[in-house]
Amino acid sequence: MNGWMGRIVTVDLGSGRQEELPVSDEMRRRYLGGRGLGVRLYSDLCPQPPDPLAPENAILFMAGPLTGTVMTSGRFQVVSRSPLTGTICDSSSGGSFGAALKSAGLDGLVIRGRAERPVYLVVSHGQVEMRDAAGIWGLDTQRTQKALQERAGAKASVACIGPAGENRVLFAAILNDRDRAAGRGGLGAVMGAKNLKAVVAAGDRATAIADPVGYKEMSLRLDRAVDKNPVTGKSLQVLGTSVLVNIVNAHGMFPTENFRRGVFNDAEGISGEKIAESLLQRQSACYKCPIGCGRTTRTRNKSGEGPEYETVWAFGAHLGVSDLSAIAEANYACNELGLDTITMGSTIGCAMELCECGAWDAGLRWGDAGRLTGWVEDTAYVRGVGADLALGSKRLAAKHGRPELAMQVKGMEIPAYDPRGAQGMALAYATSSRGGCHMRAYMIMPEILGHPVFLDRFSTAGKPEIVALFQDIAAVVDSLVLCRFLQFAVGISTLSEMLRTVTGLDIGDEELLRVGRRINTLERLYNLRAGFTRADDTLPPRFRNEEFQTGSSRHRVVRLEEMLDRYYAVRGWDPQGRPTAATLAELGLQDGRRG
Amino acid sequence: MAAAVEIRFYALLRRRLERRRLAVDGDGLSVLDLLSLAEEQAGRPFLDELLDRGRGLLSGTMILVNGENIRLKQGLATRVHSGDVVDLFSPAGGG
Ligand code: SF4
Repeated sequence: MNGWMGRIVTVDLGSGRQEELPVSDEMRRRYLGGRGLGVRLYSDLCPQPPDPLAPENAILFMAGPLTGTVMTSGRFQVVSRSPLTGTICDSSSGGSFGAALKSAGLDGLVIRGRAERPVYLVVSHGQVEMRDAAGIWGLDTQRTQKALQERAGAKASVACIGPAGENRVLFAAILNDRDRAAGRGGLGAVMGAKNLKAVVAAGDRATAIADPVGYKEMSLRLDRAVDKNPVTGKSLQVLGTSVLVNIVNAHGMFPTENFRRGVFNDAEGISGEKIAESLLQRQSACYKCPIGCGRTTRTRNKSGEGPEYETVWAFGAHLGVSDLSAIAEANYACNELGLDTITMGSTIGCAMELCECGAWDAGLRWGDAGRLTGWVEDTAYVRGVGADLALGSKRLAAKHGRPELAMQVKGMEIPAYDPRGAQGMALAYATSSRGGCHMRAYMIMPEILGHPVFLDRFSTAGKPEIVALFQDIAAVVDSLVLCRFLQFAVGISTLSEMLRTVTGLDIGDEELLRVGRRINTLERLYNLRAGFTRADDTLPPRFRNEEFQTGSSRHRVVRLEEMLDRYYAVRGWDPQGRPTAATLAELGLQDGRRG
Repeated sequence: MAAAVEIRFYALLRRRLERRRLAVDGDGLSVLDLLSLAEEQAGRPFLDELLDRGRGLLSGTMILVNGENIRLKQGLATRVHSGDVVDLFSPAGGG
């Protein structure tokens, strides 16, 4: 088989039994791999949404048909039901673990049940072996990876949890290849609840290419396109993702002190430009990636990876902190302990506002840079104020009687773009299948950065159509599985060319977009079954009612109601956001009730 | 030069010019003329980071006048006035 390995294995951690999960050619054509195939298989395995931390829940590690081939293809997707949001969730991570999983002979690994004692899994030669993790349970993610690589060889790639995942913190991350994280949605807690410390993958199988000549020619073209593009060929390399700090701040939508302002006065001090001239040691890159947006940094006390834009914001402007070293060290701590930096920082910001208004007497204050790492550690070990922070912002704010102070959608904290500054981004947050996430449809690209075309960020006209299109393209990229930053340099036709040369599957651009639409619709069906309704496709009242008084996004609110009906119509969903029978038929999802 | 137009450089432009800002006596000029004047004054070329050969905006270039993208105004023909702040970003991205 070209592209795919043609093998997905299910392991039950309770019984130790493993078996091959049959996947038809038709299924691969309709869902590709990664996120799409993962969500499809998950829906079939867990048709009734289970308690995310119960043994009945499944967690899938998925590679895609392009994994291990073209540039940026070392990535993988983890799919499960999120303990943070209760939605279907997939979380993406870079590094080389995805490529290692395929070299080990698998397109995907499905894990069910709960081990009696801590275990880890080793994948090689298409087989999965369960081993005792007693000696590594309790270790942080860096020591865990080191210990397992000593056993399995330096070439092995390890995806693991740290103490936060073991302690089932609702936003625990999965770390691999040192500091790459499947961060969002708390799937590290799902591993922890299964007593699963890590998955190790190693092997030497190559992904077969259907059209080697076409592939070579296309790869050269791709190299040139990425190199020539000013974003992928220059900006991301030199300045990393934090180049966005000054850009978003200049647009008056850099969320400051829990989204109460859109301009952070100390933005320069935490910008990508500043990182480049202070903490930066060198750039770092995932498997086969010429872009290399990663930053290896050093502070006075430590060194590590990051901070990326989202993290700079979450521990910086969001908390009124401008001490770059403190931000970087909080980032290192999140990586070591296994926590999502966005939810961690956002939850601390929510806590600061709760304390300021007297709803919670825990002593968290704006700008208190010196305590960031301590709060991160307390959260990972669920102790002191960390016991409350470990709830995430939605549960924390509700517990202290001020639910409106959590800046989240469906329980997931929204990231570093205030939706009042970009109406399309607002709609994307509200309708994302995993809650407040910018990656489901990165509308900042057209609304702020002007790629591939420039759109008026304050207009709602045409936004429902474009959000749906961006969501569909994102689902395709997540299912192939590639890095989303490639989208700055290539469009849908390059994606279908990649699929064709690698797998031989020639479905064309339109059909590929339909695959994206099918995946988004399938995720919608799952969330409906999990109890979500139109009422959940919304944003916190702050964005709908409160205006900024300064900055270039002042006097604006989110106008969701102007867009939501149209968005449902574009999607072929009824006014309650439920896919119609005609839509299900068109997408071949007639068995949609079952998922 | 309190009444000048203030130009602020970011990202790769800042690295190239090794400066963060420049005050230009550009009251009443179009953005295009302002930038040409700024290039002269800065003593180093930088417009190639922002404009294409036909002197249109490169895809992805962000030029803000008082926080508003000139693409939403009259593009490079947008007039600037003393006291205005012009932010220049060469094409950039992240996530
Ligand atoms: S662009 Fe960055 S995140 Fe994407 S594959 Fe390359 S290094 Fe990894």
